[in-house]
Amino acid sequence: MSKVLIATDWLAACAGCHMSLLDMDERILELLNHVVFTSSPVTDLKHPPESGVAVGVLTGAISNTHNIEVARRMRERCTYLVAVGDCATFGGIVAARNLVGTQAALKRAYLETESTVDGLIPDSAELGRPLETVTGVGEVVKVDIFLPGCPPRPDDFFYVFSEVLAGRIPVVLPQEHFRYD
Amino acid sequence: MSSITLTINGQKVSAQPGQTVLKAAQAAGIDIPTLCHHPALTASGGCRVCLVEVSGQRALQPACTFPATDRMEIQTESPKVVRARKFVLELLFSERNHFCMACEMSGGCELQTLGYRYGLDHWVYPTYTQRFAVDASPPHHLMDHNRCVLCRRCVRACAELVGNHTLDLRQRGAHSMLCADMDVPLGESTCISCGTCVNVCPTGALVDKRSAFMARPKDVARVATICTQCSLGCGLNVVMHRGQVLRLESRWEAPVNGGLLCRRGRFEALQDSRPRLLEPLIKENGRSAPTSWNWALAEVARHLHHESPQQLGLLTSTRLTNEALALLHAIFVRQLRAAHRGTCDAAPPALPFTPCGKLTDIVASDFILIVEADPARDQPVASFFIKRAVDQGTRLVTVESRSTELTAFAEASFPPRDIAIAVDLVQAAAKPVVVCGAGLRKSEADLLQKTQPKARFISLVSGVNTVTAAALGLVDRIDPAACRTLFIAVADENGTLDPLAARIDRSAFVIAMASYASPLTERADLVLPMATWLERSGGFTNTDGTQLRAHAALPPSGQSRSDWDILGRLAERLGLDARAAKADLPRCDA
Repeated sequence: MSKVLIATDWLAACAGCHMSLLDMDERILELLNHVVFTSSPVTDLKHPPESGVAVGVLTGAISNTHNIEVARRMRERCTYLVAVGDCATFGGIVAARNLVGTQAALKRAYLETESTVDGLIPDSAELGRPLETVTGVGEVVKVDIFLPGCPPRPDDFFYVFSEVLAGRIPVVLPQEHFRYD
Repeated sequence: MSSITLTINGQKVSAQPGQTVLKAAQAAGIDIPTLCHHPALTASGGCRVCLVEVSGQRALQPACTFPATDRMEIQTESPKVVRARKFVLELLFSERNHFCMACEMSGGCELQTLGYRYGLDHWVYPTYTQRFAVDASPPHHLMDHNRCVLCRRCVRACAELVGNHTLDLRQRGAHSMLCADMDVPLGESTCISCGTCVNVCPTGALVDKRSAFMARPKDVARVATICTQCSLGCGLNVVMHRGQVLRLESRWEAPVNGGLLCRRGRFEALQDSRPRLLEPLIKENGRSAPTSWNWALAEVARHLHHESPQQLGLLTSTRLTNEALALLHAIFVRQLRAAHRGTCDAAPPALPFTPCGKLTDIVASDFILIVEADPARDQPVASFFIKRAVDQGTRLVTVESRSTELTAFAEASFPPRDIAIAVDLVQAAAKPVVVCGAGLRKSEADLLQKTQPKARFISLVSGVNTVTAAALGLVDRIDPAACRTLFIAVADENGTLDPLAARIDRSAFVIAMASYASPLTERADLVLPMATWLERSGGFTNTDGTQLRAHAALPPSGQSRSDWDILGRLAERLGLDARAAKADLPRCDA
């Protein structure tokens, strides 16, 4: 049987979810008997292959226009999209920005920080434009499986991958793999 | 009345007529989730989390308010119910800030638990971005509107349990907001900081400032004990984390107070910042120096042994356990026959009859007479009961020399000379309660005898364990200036005994048993460090005669010891059988 292709990517994320994924430790080897990680932010190949993957994993919130592009690209190239972590499911810690407003947050971060001299709010066509409201991935693309947690524990990743590989979709998270914090 | 039978999830359940579906299910061990419901409060059916399917009913019904009837068929987790419940939860999560990772209550939050139970792994409604100010104006707790789900538990607790009516909701629908009085900051409102709202809040919207973000709810332990700030002896839980006290919280099943605590009992009891006494001290050449327990107790025994009864004095705080008071009685009354004995608190009023009322009688009464008592100041939880009763239509009449907070709630207030009118009113009532304070005069007490045995009579004594101290003959008047040797059990008394330090004879030998350093312990020639109320177990007799038991949450700090431990060792040194002293005590099994 050919291996299942998995691609991961991150949006407005702290990398904690990917660290937690790697924290599966030796179980990753077991997983690799059944899957191939085609691409991820922590490997050489960053983008999911155009030929598509079975499972796409997104961590992080939708915070700027670039995040929307990345989320849409992943959605187009995967069969099942998994939103991982509180940021991807709810907006998470990134959504704290909603409470002050994007412009105020940019001003505080780039102009008013105590250590800043001659600050400048980054503005380039190369960069994604910050959105007014930070949201979870589900507000931009259709998500098949949500795995909340800040971050989800390695066991939770392993559980979700095992369920997907066994074809039990939609994945129902039991209490022990379901955490908001 | 005969019981009724209904079917819940196919299981036959018997219930009492008038019982709600929720109560009937709970009695049968069937779990129906709730959010706005709290066992200590009236059901309001506001949150719709407890919706169930009832045969013959077109719509789903809230189990917490829907009365159970005979042959009713209920489904509590049918697909229709689960779908509706999930929808209700999605709506609850759609407003305000419910990000758990930055919340003090995560792990103990009832909304979070429901989110897990019904699998809310994402939000179906647009991300909520409105932010509200946190009201941290009260001294001991704060109100974070961002976490509020408008369940009104706090509103009901403030009104129904405490009778204070500070909290309410303003506006309506999505604009509903919790508010204090006419929407003023909580700290400027009529809030009395009893903290009952903090205890009933299902989320992290009302938080104890002292323990906020100190520990996850799953990591705490609880020790059940009683408050010894006044003579009520309210039951409470000490919430502990890794050997540290986080906060004090309601123990709903507590016999005296039914979970209510006042500002002193819930918050201020932990605010003591006086320096602790951690080792025995002995005065040498005018200077206090640490010494060993052995030497200190030997010196105490030597001084007591050699003093004549006429020159020996015992002054005790009423913040001592029954066991310690019994030992004081055995040592100073029976053995040494000390001529001078007294407490820092007023003696209970002399009554020509035995008071038979319990605090819980207050809420069940139809008429309350208060004579020379100020419970709102001295025993606040008793005043909550009184206000609650007044809210339910109980008539309140006071006889007092000067007005108190409760005067405003009374339909009439009489000066002491008109007490006869009030007594007539008591006799006309069906279920009267008479509450008297320590200031009751003999003539008043004699007149009040007319109310017996009809009226439930509650004597609110000042101090803490004053009932036991009085029963053991330790509350006579005392003149410290007349004593050549004076043993003072200061305990953790808050400065009440300090003025005495100046009145003690210069040449007198003073032994102080105290938890905190004070002018009195500085004056003392020998200081025996005592455990605080959180560090000692023991029996207490409260003002209505209920036997209560305190349990230590912490080990004694430093070399300090429990009051009964110190006195037990002293008794042994004086050749007394410490265990025999307990025979003087009422049995403590509460």
